[in-house]
Amino acid sequence: MAASPMVNPGDQPVWVNTDNCKACDICVSVCPSGVLGMKYESTSTLGAMISIDHPEACIGCNECELTCPDFAIYVADKQEYKAAGFSFAKLTDDAKARQEQIVANNYMSLSEQGVK
Amino acid sequence: MAFNYDKYLRLEKMPTLWCWGCGDGVILKAFVRAIEKMGINQDDICVVSGIGCSGRFSSYVDFNTVHTTHGRTVAYATGIKLSRPDKLVVCVAGDGDALAIGGNHTIHACRRNIDMTMIIINNFIYGLTNSQTSPTTPKGMWTVSQKAGNIDPTFDTCDLAIASGASFVARETMLEPKKLEKVLIKAMKHNGFSMMEVLSNCHINLGRKNKMVSAMANLEWIDSITISKKKYDTMSEEEQLNLLPLGVLKEDIEADEYCAMYAEIQEVHQGLRGKITQDDFAKKI
Repeated sequence: MAASPMVNPGDQPVWVNTDNCKACDICVSVCPSGVLGMKYESTSTLGAMISIDHPEACIGCNECELTCPDFAIYVADKQEYKAAGFSFAKLTDDAKARQEQIVANNYMSLSEQGVK
Repeated sequence: MAFNYDKYLRLEKMPTLWCWGCGDGVILKAFVRAIEKMGINQDDICVVSGIGCSGRFSSYVDFNTVHTTHGRTVAYATGIKLSRPDKLVVCVAGDGDALAIGGNHTIHACRRNIDMTMIIINNFIYGLTNSQTSPTTPKGMWTVSQKAGNIDPTFDTCDLAIASGASFVARETMLEPKKLEKVLIKAMKHNGFSMMEVLSNCHINLGRKNKMVSAMANLEWIDSITISKKKYDTMSEEEQLNLLPLGVLKEDIEADEYCAMYAEIQEVHQGLRGKITQDDFAKKI
């Protein structure tokens, strides 16, 4: 049996289960620090799929996990993550500016053209 | 390892059948997290759901579940609770299920104040059957059954529950999952009938014809018509007109609970006590 999607695949602060993701944009819109973005994916129903572009900026606020309706995105447990020798980032002005750009780009990654 | 949802979900049914961005999934998640926080055994919970998109709720959770007929959610749940008063019974119904076809069941369950939690997922439309007017559809919105714009006045679910005598009434939205989780725990711990109205989005069947095409656009609209109860109370009547207050709207811990009274009736029949008289109640009328 495959490993549970809830187990951290390799010391990541945030990871996704692309089998469950329906590309609704909600997690991208609630992220305060521009960690997430959508990328074009021809095999997905809505033509897009979630991607984690800046895992180093994740502040561990858990908002994306809580607002995901499809159990597709997970955030590491704070205490476990610290015990493994990692730490979440602090919210910076750069990250806030990036988030604003992503929202203005129609929730698409900044490397993609934001037309859906 | 993130929060372990595996334990509470029927993984063979995943991914959910709900549309992308549907608030029902967020409510399901908040509910599962609330159960984990309360530390209740999975076998001690019964989730009862009716017909509609919200009816799928019972299919995904790995508790004792009953998927019942349209509108009769509370009727089934009342029977379950009376036969097994030690179990936690949670009803999940949509706005059409609980307020239109099951309206009478809902108000009489409120009146009896039987110890169960009812979650009404209000998405302002009959979503499953492709956007007919529901009792909570706002005036002026386009629906399949009222193509010139809805003229029916709307139900205020929480006011209805308070007037009918429910002892715990709260309203939350799926926009604030952390707060929703906290209030859900409060509602499930309450001894008596607790009514939770959770506002949710249906950008597919409500949004597409009403200028809210994406999930985010619909959620922004829900955000614009709601306000916390604290702020709501300080407003003038004119400002309150088109807003819905969020939070715990009523909490009465002293009201008589129905299962406890029902146990006394059983004692009367067993000859353990005399007949019930008016002196047994603090509030008689």
